[in-house]
Amino acid sequence: MIGPSRVAELDMPSAGIETGGSRPAQSYWNESWERLRANRIGVGAGALILVFAAIAIMAPLVSAFITHYQPQTINLDQTFAKPGSVHWLGSDELGRDTLTRLVWGARVSLGVAFLTVAISLTVGTSVGMLAGYYGGWIDDVLMRLVDTVLAIPAIFLFILMSILFRPNPFTLAVIVASVGWGAVARLVRGEVLSVKQRDFVLATRSIGARDTRLMARHLLPNVLPVLIVAASLGVGQIILVEAALDFLGLGIQPPTASWGNMLTNAESYFFRSGWLVALPGVTIFTTVLASNIFGNAVRDAFDPRLKS
Amino acid sequence: MTQPLLEVQDLHTVFSTKEGQVKAVDGVSFELNAGETLGIVGESGCGKSVTAMSIMRLQRPGRIVGGKVMFKGQDLTRISEYEMREIRGREMAMIFQDPMTSLNPVYRVGWQVGEPTRLHNGWDAKKAFSSAVSMLGRVGIPSAASRARDYPHQFSGGMRQRAMIAMGLTTTPHVLIADEPTTALDVTIQAQILDLLRHVNREFGTATILITHNLGVVAGMCQRLIVMYAGKIVEAGPTRDVFAHPKHPYTWSLLRSIPRLDADIHEPLKPIEGLPPNLIDLPGGCSFHPRCAFRVDKCSHDVPALLRVGESQQAACWVTQSGTELKGA
Amino acid sequence: MPETATAKHITRAWTVNDPLVTVGDLKVWFPVATGLIQRSAGYVHAVDGVDLEIKAGETLGLVGESGCGKSTLGRTIIRLVEPTGGSIKFKGEDITHVRGGKLRALRREMAMIFQDPYASLDPRQTVGDIVGEPIDVHGLAKGKQRQERIRELLRVVGMNPRYADRYPHEFSGGQRQRIGIARALAVEPQFIVCDEPISALDVSIQAQIINLLENLQSKFKLTYLFIAHDLSVVKHISNRIAVMYLGKVMEVAPAGQLYKRPRHPYTGSLLSAIPIPDPAVELGRERVLLKGDVASPVDPPSGCRFRTRCPRAKPHCAEEIPPLETFGQEHLAACFYPLD
Repeated sequence: MIGPSRVAELDMPSAGIETGGSRPAQSYWNESWERLRANRIGVGAGALILVFAAIAIMAPLVSAFITHYQPQTINLDQTFAKPGSVHWLGSDELGRDTLTRLVWGARVSLGVAFLTVAISLTVGTSVGMLAGYYGGWIDDVLMRLVDTVLAIPAIFLFILMSILFRPNPFTLAVIVASVGWGAVARLVRGEVLSVKQRDFVLATRSIGARDTRLMARHLLPNVLPVLIVAASLGVGQIILVEAALDFLGLGIQPPTASWGNMLTNAESYFFRSGWLVALPGVTIFTTVLASNIFGNAVRDAFDPRLKS
Repeated sequence: MTQPLLEVQDLHTVFSTKEGQVKAVDGVSFELNAGETLGIVGESGCGKSVTAMSIMRLQRPGRIVGGKVMFKGQDLTRISEYEMREIRGREMAMIFQDPMTSLNPVYRVGWQVGEPTRLHNGWDAKKAFSSAVSMLGRVGIPSAASRARDYPHQFSGGMRQRAMIAMGLTTTPHVLIADEPTTALDVTIQAQILDLLRHVNREFGTATILITHNLGVVAGMCQRLIVMYAGKIVEAGPTRDVFAHPKHPYTWSLLRSIPRLDADIHEPLKPIEGLPPNLIDLPGGCSFHPRCAFRVDKCSHDVPALLRVGESQQAACWVTQSGTELKGA
Repeated sequence: MPETATAKHITRAWTVNDPLVTVGDLKVWFPVATGLIQRSAGYVHAVDGVDLEIKAGETLGLVGESGCGKSTLGRTIIRLVEPTGGSIKFKGEDITHVRGGKLRALRREMAMIFQDPYASLDPRQTVGDIVGEPIDVHGLAKGKQRQERIRELLRVVGMNPRYADRYPHEFSGGQRQRIGIARALAVEPQFIVCDEPISALDVSIQAQIINLLENLQSKFKLTYLFIAHDLSVVKHISNRIAVMYLGKVMEVAPAGQLYKRPRHPYTGSLLSAIPIPDPAVELGRERVLLKGDVASPVDPPSGCRFRTRCPRAKPHCAEEIPPLETFGQEHLAACFYPLD
């Protein structure tokens, strides 16, 4: 159950207000935030993702003022440069600066990930909310649709889509999200079904509130915690999916840099210049790990009893 | 006088929470004599359940930090977990409030009822099952032989509680602890189960500790009664005397605040004002003093001990200990 | 418009002396769904032909054991559950099937108080928002006026108005119940369904809430349908009491009369099963212990539903459903072989 711990379960009364008079009002969100802040590793992971996102957004500035290279500028005099003062993280077979390409690649990889998560959550939440709240035939129709979507072998869909549309970051996000919303819809439907049972939903109906109000004001805030957790964990998953698609040549096409296609590209030079493989690999690994740690930290913050 | 069967001496059980340490049981002492039914009453949070759990050493995550539980010459708070397991289910059985969750849904009822005898008497499955069937019959399950093959979800709430009682009785324990055994049941089913507990007490001579918040249940079941408030015993004595002349203001006002079926219609209730105490931040002195209509200055500074008041009762109250009668409009 | 049509059919306007609520042959059945494809394997006859009147200003107690349909009946009367058959009239107007704006208008006249003070308040809302929601939904007040109204409502139920910006989990059960009562009062209703409002509360708090409900009733001229399983509480608060068993009303009588002279054997055994907190009385009482459990509401017994547990049942009880018959003033019971 989601909610502040009820000491009552230990056969004890919850805190009386006589003693709580001087405390500021403690909303569920405040309390969760306090718990999240207390989790140093989680906060560190979240901060890392924020830093990566900030660098990605500022990629043109990084190119112009820090690395002084453009991601697609070829320099055949400086192929396979080792990491050093000229190319801080070395260069590839066409003499392109690795650090610059990683920074621009972050734009693609993180951009696709955030966009995919945003689309999946929006569509999935709407579908799950309608199915869970109305039930009956609406639920049947929507959930069979979800079953169908989740039954499609994603990899074939991706291959087909990437043949039909030449993927750019936006279409790629739409393609990945076209499968990803299904899981979100199921998650939200399950939450709504359980929240719907609670008397406050009936109480809200009993005062004459419309369905839209009930969903927006009561159901959504109560499923929001699981959505936030799903989003934090989802970013990591999507980065992996996107990298895999790029690696297979189904995602972002060269010369546009993405972490995945940098990896594909470097594959042939594994023994000659290992760092070309290692650098995008480590970047992907770090980002995904940070996203998972942060997601878990968020979940623990929302529901401390799931831990232990 | 004969030795009591069970003697709880100055028991202290605490829970550690984020906001601080909670003294759920704060210096509780009482005796249980062979064959008697003792009631422990109080509201949620008064420590009545934790007291029972502590006797069975099932108080976790709480910790027993002081006191003794003497049973058959040994202190149950000091013996090993292995020795305690030998006592649980064999010498002392416990039944719980929620019969819906206290049976395991994946095993047949008869198998579960026979479990204590397989565990403690080393009986084989067949013997345990047939004893379970006979015990189920004795607690009033009709056509017990076939119902023993049912799964718990095929039993109604009342029948599950009967099955729990049957399971407790298979090893003929000396002590039966019933923690709110009828709270989750309908009144007509409650009457059946209480009748069964009376019958068990007579037929098996099992001493029973009945924990409840329902003063009506205690009135009809228990020879002696303990009233708890905020982790402490505030009053104890023979049930008849406590109900007739309560010696603690909490008992006194509680009895006046509950509607009685045999009372005159629309006689207004006299509620106890205020809220049950917050165990993390108890008021100083007597924990009941902020809600007490009889309080004197001393009550907010000094904690009263549980002392004899009147012929047969004990109360932890400065007012009645000084000889004042509890009276009011 | 159907509304005007019904209005014309009413020959005499509703007056305060008429019943506020009239329930006629009300049925609420829930399908029992089985398997993957929702195929109905029968119906739970939660409410199965109930006739009842609630007078303006009175408290009608509704008692019965779990599964007897008392909560469903209460929720159906205020149109939170769709009736399967029969009719509900409120102030003389048929509300059985009203919807849309008409139903929302009706929501200003009826309210509900719930059993579980934990589940019935949205944990993500402040106390002020909870109490203020009916005001917002019906556009009753805005801005400063709204704030003042919320403070007023909290004061009325005995809560400190300063707590409006706090969250429900900061309060104990009794205080949460007060918040729920304040929410119910926000629309200034005439009729409130109290669904086991004190069953989940600590014993020492119950009397506070009962007294609060009684005070509010006389202050705001409220009519209550007070649902509970505890007959001693119901007897205390009600003018009349209806006893339900397996979806049907078994007996209706003024509270004192029902206790002193129950006519239905079920009422008799229910009364004898309720413990009285007084050993002097309790130990000397004679009990009518009922056999077994309540029959299944999916497949209720033929004839009288209570016959499977009734100590007085005779073969005739299985053949015919006993109708509610008059036993003295305002006293009705459905039994062929009533108690004396």
